[in-house]
Formats: sequence, C-alpha cells, structure tokens
Amino acid sequence: MSGDVPPVVRLGHDLVRNFEALPPEKAAEEIATHIKKFWEPRMRRDLVARVRAGEVDDPLLAKAAEDLLEGDVDREEVKEPSGG
Amino acid sequence: MTTIDESTVIAEQETDYGTPRVASDETATVTVDGREVSVPAGTSVMRAAAEAGIEIPKLCATDSLAAFGSCRLCLVEVEGGKGTPASCTTPCSDGMVVRTDTEQVQDLRRNVMELYLSDHPTDCDGCARGSCEMQKWARATGVAEVRYGLDGASHLADTTDHSNPYFDYDPAACIVCSRCVRACSETQGTFALTVDGRGFDSRVSAGGTDFLNSECVSCGACVQACPTDALTERSVVQLGMPTRSVVTTCAYCGVGCSFKAEVQGSGEDTRVVRMTPWKDGGANEGHSCVKGRFAYGYAAHDDRQMEPMVRDSIDDEWRVVSWDEAIAKVADGFRAIQDEHGVGYIGGISSSRCTNEEVYVVQKMVRAAFGNNNVDTCARVCHSPTGYGLNHAFGTSAGTQDFRSVEQADVILLIGANPTDAHPVFASRMKKRLRAGARIIVADPRRIDLVRSPHVEASFHLPVRPGTNVAFVNAMAHVIVTEGLLDEEFVRSRTEGTDGYLEFIAQPEHSPEATESETGIPAPELRAAARLYAAGPNSAIYYGLGVTEHSQGSTMVMGMANLAMLTGNLGREGVGVNPLRGQNNVQGSCDMGSFPHELPGYRHVSRADVRDIYESLWGVTIQPEPGLRIPNMFDSAIGGSFLGLYVQGEDIAQSDPNTQHVEAALRAMELVVVQDLFLNETARFAHVFLPGASFLEKDGTFTNAERRLNRVRPVMPSRVGKDEWQVVCEIATAMGYPMSYGSAAEIMEEIAATTPTFAGVSFARLDAEGSMQWPVTDAAPHGTPTMHVGQFVRGLGQLTPTVYVPTTERANRRFPLVLTTGRILSQYNVGAQTRRTPNSTWHPEDVLEIHPSDAELRGISDGDVVELSSRVGATRLTALVSERMPAGVVYTTFHHPVTGANVVTTENSDWATNCPEYKVTAVQVTVATEASRAEAGEAPEAVSHDMPVGAMARHRR
Repeated sequence: MSGDVPPVVRLGHDLVRNFEALPPEKAAEEIATHIKKFWEPRMRRDLVARVRAGEVDDPLLAKAAEDLLEGDVDREEVKEPSGG
Repeated sequence: MTTIDESTVIAEQETDYGTPRVASDETATVTVDGREVSVPAGTSVMRAAAEAGIEIPKLCATDSLAAFGSCRLCLVEVEGGKGTPASCTTPCSDGMVVRTDTEQVQDLRRNVMELYLSDHPTDCDGCARGSCEMQKWARATGVAEVRYGLDGASHLADTTDHSNPYFDYDPAACIVCSRCVRACSETQGTFALTVDGRGFDSRVSAGGTDFLNSECVSCGACVQACPTDALTERSVVQLGMPTRSVVTTCAYCGVGCSFKAEVQGSGEDTRVVRMTPWKDGGANEGHSCVKGRFAYGYAAHDDRQMEPMVRDSIDDEWRVVSWDEAIAKVADGFRAIQDEHGVGYIGGISSSRCTNEEVYVVQKMVRAAFGNNNVDTCARVCHSPTGYGLNHAFGTSAGTQDFRSVEQADVILLIGANPTDAHPVFASRMKKRLRAGARIIVADPRRIDLVRSPHVEASFHLPVRPGTNVAFVNAMAHVIVTEGLLDEEFVRSRTEGTDGYLEFIAQPEHSPEATESETGIPAPELRAAARLYAAGPNSAIYYGLGVTEHSQGSTMVMGMANLAMLTGNLGREGVGVNPLRGQNNVQGSCDMGSFPHELPGYRHVSRADVRDIYESLWGVTIQPEPGLRIPNMFDSAIGGSFLGLYVQGEDIAQSDPNTQHVEAALRAMELVVVQDLFLNETARFAHVFLPGASFLEKDGTFTNAERRLNRVRPVMPSRVGKDEWQVVCEIATAMGYPMSYGSAAEIMEEIAATTPTFAGVSFARLDAEGSMQWPVTDAAPHGTPTMHVGQFVRGLGQLTPTVYVPTTERANRRFPLVLTTGRILSQYNVGAQTRRTPNSTWHPEDVLEIHPSDAELRGISDGDVVELSSRVGATRLTALVSERMPAGVVYTTFHHPVTGANVVTTENSDWATNCPEYKVTAVQVTVATEASRAEAGEAPEAVSHDMPVGAMARHRR
C-alpha cells in the first residue's frame, strides 16, 4: 500500500487529511507552515521536486509546496514552541 | 568518571512515626514524658511522642498505615484519663500530658511481649541479623525470658512459602499484626492478603494459595511493612543486612519512584542487597512496584557487555577493543561519512532511560560536533503528541499536575492507559482515591483492572474502538457544550478560539448518536459519562499511550485539553490533563532539547535569540533548520541520504514499528554505534558497541511525568570505567569539537544557565529540597506542582476544532481484526532489563489476547500457537482467549524479541509528530500449522505454558 509511496508524499498526505477540512488557502498555509517548522530541509526539497515533477496529484499538497517555495509561511508561528 | 564521595551518601535510618502525618490547620500541644511538642490536631500520641524524640514500642503500627490498635504494645498513661490507651489510636488533645514509661505501662508491655515471644522462633534468623524487630522490642520492654515456656501450642513448625522469586513468607515468624494485610489493601490496593482463621488459628494468607499463584502483585508493600522476619527479601536472607544506603531514583516507568539502594561494600565491590521505597520520595511516598522494588538484578547480569567492541561489517565477529580505539572508530567513521556525503548524513538518538545530563550532552554533540540538528529521542515513538498537543493548547509540553493532585479529584477520566500495569505506584494512589469515593470513567478497548477490581468499580467503561479516540472526545465535548454543562466563566475569560470551537463542536455530526457506529460506544453511556465528567466538581484526565500512539495522537491530546478547558478543570489541585509517561525520563529527554526542531526548553531552532545563547557558549554555529526525526532517519537511510547513527540506550530494532523497515534502514547505514548495557536487537546491526552504565552507576537527574526532577545518585562506580556523558564528550572531542565536564553537576549548571524553566535547578538545591517540579524560577523557587494557575503559560488557552480523521489503517476482509499493543506489570518495554530478572516468572512470553467469539470463529483454543499477520509482516504467539478483549480487537505486548510484535505494526503515524500508530494495525489471526511453524524454525514445544495463575499473570484471565 503506502510502501510504494515516497515517504515525504505519504507524510504530506497525512497532513492533508488533517487540514483538508479548512478552506483550501488556509489549509495549504497550515500544511506549509507545519512542513517548514518540522521537516528537515532535504525532505522539503524532495517534496517540492516531486510536486514539480508531477508526482504529487493532491492539489492541497501541491499548493502547500508552492507556499513553501514562495516562502509564504508564517515565520512567527514557526518560531513558537511546539513540543512533539 | 564520576567519583563517589561516600561522605555524601545518605545513610540515615528513616524514622517510623508509627501513624501517618495528619493535615490540620489546628495545633495541639502535648507533653510526653516531660517534653512539650506541638502537632497538627488529630495526630496520634504515638506520632507526637516520636516527633518529640520518644520511641514508643510498637508492632502493629507503622506510619504508612492507619492506626490499628491490635498489638497492645504501645500502651501509655494519659494524665486524668482512664486506663492505658493504645498510643497509636489515641489522638492528641491540647494540654494532654502523657507518660510512656510508668511502671504500670512497662509491666503491661512486658507481659504482652512475653506472649508474642512464646510463639516466636528462639533461633529467628531475622533477630540475629537485625531484620526482625522482635529482639529490639524484647530488649526495650525488658523481657529476659518467657515464663510460659516454649512447649505449648505454637506455629513454629509452619512451613515457609518460597514460591515468590523475591521474598519468602515464613509463618513461624509471623505475629499476625496484619501490617502486611493492611499494606496490601491500604497502600497497594490489591487486597491479595487476608487473615484466615480465628483466635490462635489466625494466619496471614495469600487467599488460600501460595504467594506466586495468588492475586499478589509483588509490590513489596507487605515486606516493607512486616515488623518481623515473616516476610523478608530473599536477597537479605542470602546476603545479610545492608551496611549503607543511597537514595536514588528508579529507572523504570515515568512515575519516577525514589528508592533507598541498600548495599554492602564499597567501590567496585559494592553489592546491592535490596531496594526499598523512600518515604520522602515526592512521586511514590514510600510505595513501590515489582519492577522498582525487586527487578534491579539486570544491572549485575552476566549478559552485560562490559568492554567496547568494533567490527567492520555487521556480518563480522565483534572484536573487543580499548575505549580509545572504539571512540576513534566512531569519530573517524562519522567524519568520513560527512566528508564524503555531507554534514546532514549522520545523527543521534537519545534515550528516555538516560539522565537529563546524558541526554543534554547527546543533543549538544549532535548540534555542536555533528553540526546538524539530526537528534531525536525515543519519546518520538511514545509521547511526542503529548508535547505537541499540550504545548498547542496550554503553552507547555507537560502535564498540568503533580501526582498528589489525584487525592483531590472527584471524577477521574482515564483514557488509553492501564496504570495498574504500566504505572503501578500511581495506580495505587488512584485506587486509594477511588476507595475514598471518587468515581472513574475508563475509556479503553480492553476491560482493564480499573474497570472492576477489589473495591474499584468504574462508573462507566467506554470500550472505544481503536483509532476513533477523536470522535469519542468530540462527542464528550459535544454533550458538554450542547447540554450547557460548560464552565462559561472559565471559557470566556481564559480561552481563545472559543467561538469557532463552540460552533464546530456543537455540530450534530459530533453527537454521541452520530459517532456511536464509529466509536462503538453506546450514546446513552457516553452522554452519561460526559455529564459525570462535567459535574466534577474536580475532574481530572489521565491518559497514556492509548491516546498518543495513533494517527491522530496530537489531535486527541488537544481534544482532551478542550474538554478540560470547557469544564474549567485546570489550574488547581484535583483536575488537569495528565500524561502518564512510559519511561523514567521521557519528560526530561524532551525537556533537554532532544527533538530535531528544538533546543532545550522547547525553543525552536529558528529562533536566533535562542541559538545565540548556545552559539556564544559552545562557540559553534547552530543550524537554524530542523533535523531529521527518527522515522525520517530510517526513510533517509533507505533512500541513501543518512548513513551514520549513534543510538544511546534505545533498542530501535525491537521497539520501533515495522521491524523490516527499521532493519532495512540499519543495514543501509555505514556506521551504526550503539551504547547500551546489553547487546540488544539494534546491536545486531551495529559496527561499534559502547558499553553503558546502569542507573546504579549514574550521577544525574530524571524528570518524571509530573515534571519532578529527582536525583539519580551513584551507588557504585561505573562498571565499564566511564560515565556515559563522558563517552559522548570524548566522541565529540575526537571529532574535533572539544567537550568536557568535571561532573554531571556541571552539566546541570549549564542546563540551568541556558534554559529559563530550569533556572533555579542545581544538584545542591535538589539535594537540599529532595526534588523540584519545573518550572523552577525566581517566581517559583521551589518549583511548580500545579501549572496554569490563573493564566496559561501561553496566556489564553487555545480551543482547537479537532476534526476527526479516520485512520487509513482499517480492518478489511483480508485483515478483519485490529491489533492493539501495550504492557504488562512484570515486564518493561522491550524487556531488556526485566527479562534479565526473575520477573519473567510471570511473563515468560508475549501472548495474544483474543475475544472468545473471534477465537471460536477461527478454531483457536486457549494456549494454541497462532499466526498473527498484517500487511507488513507476520509473527507467532500463544493465544489467550480472554473476555477482557472486545470482539474484533486483539492485543499483545512487545516485551520479548522472539515474538517481535513490531514485525506486524505499520509505518502509519501521528500527522503532527510521526509518533507511530502502534495501537491500530489491521491483522488476521490463524492457528499456526505445524508446517508454518517448522518453516519458521520453531519447535512445537518451544513455547512454555508453565505460568503462575494469579494476578501477576493477569493476562491469563
């Protein structure tokens, strides 16, 4: 099942499922912020590369990757304590 | 290496005041034998005398138990009073004048003592070695001979019960004072012991069977309470009495019990005689469980690997080398990987079983010497959602209360936790409160002991279906909001996100009726439970890994925080949201900056002001971006972008999910370094093994589930020649980043200097105060037992709409059952410690609990070997047909590597923290055929069914 899905896409899908109840713009922003806050840069680059290569068919995850590319994340929220 | 200054070793004899401390605002001043003493009103004369320095002889009294007044040894005279009352049951009144040594009193005591001695062995071993109080009191009361002779009826020929692996019960030495019986009921709350028979025939009994097969849970409370040699640790019988003691902290669960390590000898010849619970321990207050009290023998087990070893390939044999050679291989290997591939190709994992100081230096090594943030800790796979969720809601990644708070709770909502097995000493506190009238709601798929056990009956058992916690907690909140049960004033004044949340949760889709088909909880039951929780007045949530280890673990933590905020159950005693942490230092390892995105004190690495603190102190540049989490490390290793790993005291190959995936990751790495006591499963994939020190050899601190910093004091020097923090420093130094400390205390000084919540912590202050709960600051110099009083750490509490998202791991036709995993009392985590102790007497193998209807459908009988398979793997276990399970759900533990429960668990994880979804795996269970067993290389007789049948093997019921 998910064994064939690249890890960053699988993790991205988990985020999408959690935020997709929000309006799309807000959901994409939340996902991008989460990724910025918790993902190691190589993972982020991997995700963006896969989106660019058309390997990610989830529009919300693709939009979040765009936000990441454009730096459209709430940097103050990233700095907030998070635990976990 | 830590040197042990034995002059600082605490060796004091604890004073037994005879009766418990009384809390009262009023004071009574009494005069005992001419000494005036003021005590809280209601204090017994016996205790008042003890506080005045006068020891009244006693046999049935001890200060951990309510006064009983049966032995008649503690008689006194009270001026103006009639007769000679028992001092243990006589409360002090203001102006009372007491005489404890009049001739009449002495005569009475002498006669009483003489009667006791007439049925006590003249050759009592305990009297000879000092473990039996009879000789002491005979001397104190002046009994020189027994006038009645020793030829009359007696119990001296009664046979000793040797069934328990840790202590003996010798009825010949028993005086039937019932301290053991009362300890079992009052302190432990198990009610396994009783007094059988009447009059002279009265005998202490473990329910008509031997101790091993009884309901006894081997907590040791009876042994601790016994005034004679009737109940004695076998180690004392074998080794004799200890000669000195050191107060330290247990290395098992997150309760963090304080113990007195009682030892013989010194230096390298130190030998532990017994571990006794420390009465002044803030977490345990003199109680213990079978692990902390007795299962310490692993520290001296022959399996311990005492010398560093290396090998070039994991297919090679190990080669014992010097520390210098091993450390050089680690440093050279890590640097070579970085030189060839990049700085981010290596990382480290710290352990929740190690001290704060050890964990701190690991993250420092990674950040300063490795030059990246690839550090994570085993909290990743247990309570990382707690940190995330509670921080999001309240602003602090920790529980809100101290353990003592439960004594003020009126309603306990227990979710996804099984304290009687996993946190037994806290469970005893909880049961005590329940016996006093508090009510409990148990939300758990299994019918755990707290649903129904002696003197405990849950008001509601809500068998929430695995994976549906968020639907459940939303339904609870829905009832509270729509039925107007919320604390309006608290919600309006102390929360934000309020209107959005209230609108969200009031939607009909969250109603108990709408969620019933998902959660499996009948709507009327859930409504009634929600009303009970809301009614309180003090309602407290306690939870465990049954909350966190889900794909929505973090969401569920926020959902519970929502519940507490809605009902105003925060910021005072008796309430709160309380994680029961799995390992001894989960809290501490998280506090110490073990997460790849946070520096110590939960401060994000992107914060330049925080990096500045460490950069100026450490003289390095700290990466401002997060590093890899443990599952990311595994994925990256398989992908070829992570090649070197240092693992401190953590057996990832056994404890982490999807074993095949973990093993593939470890095989893919060029250099795996394991530091541990034993050659664990992970060491099978290691290139360097560095021997670790046991908790008995460590100097430092653990932080328990209530944020309590307890001192870990070395009982003996490190048996491997180095402290673990020292080894880490030497690796960093060999990699070109000089790191050194003179002592663990120096490390704590650095932690305190750089982390605001620990500002007031030092070893000296901990030694003086006993323990402290962080934050320890100028505003709270003695620590903070209750958090969020008046205001949340983040200001206003955050109410968050917790959207229920079903897990993708669903049962289907191929895998129609859901597997959930957990622990059992006698074993601990991967079992590396407890499997190397007699605790395996009770749990020699992991078993698969299955509901009778699921078993019947598959032709499975109790004791059959079954195959458990999921979409990622299969393993074999012995079936235990049990009505504790709901139909459709099976359960096992992960204490034994031979079973490999994690062979079947998947890589599904919490969306926020990647904490694995251990609690939900779709599986099938079939009878293992001889052919399939033979294929697995398993002999049919390999599984032993020879287990005791009592409570300790309670999974058998």
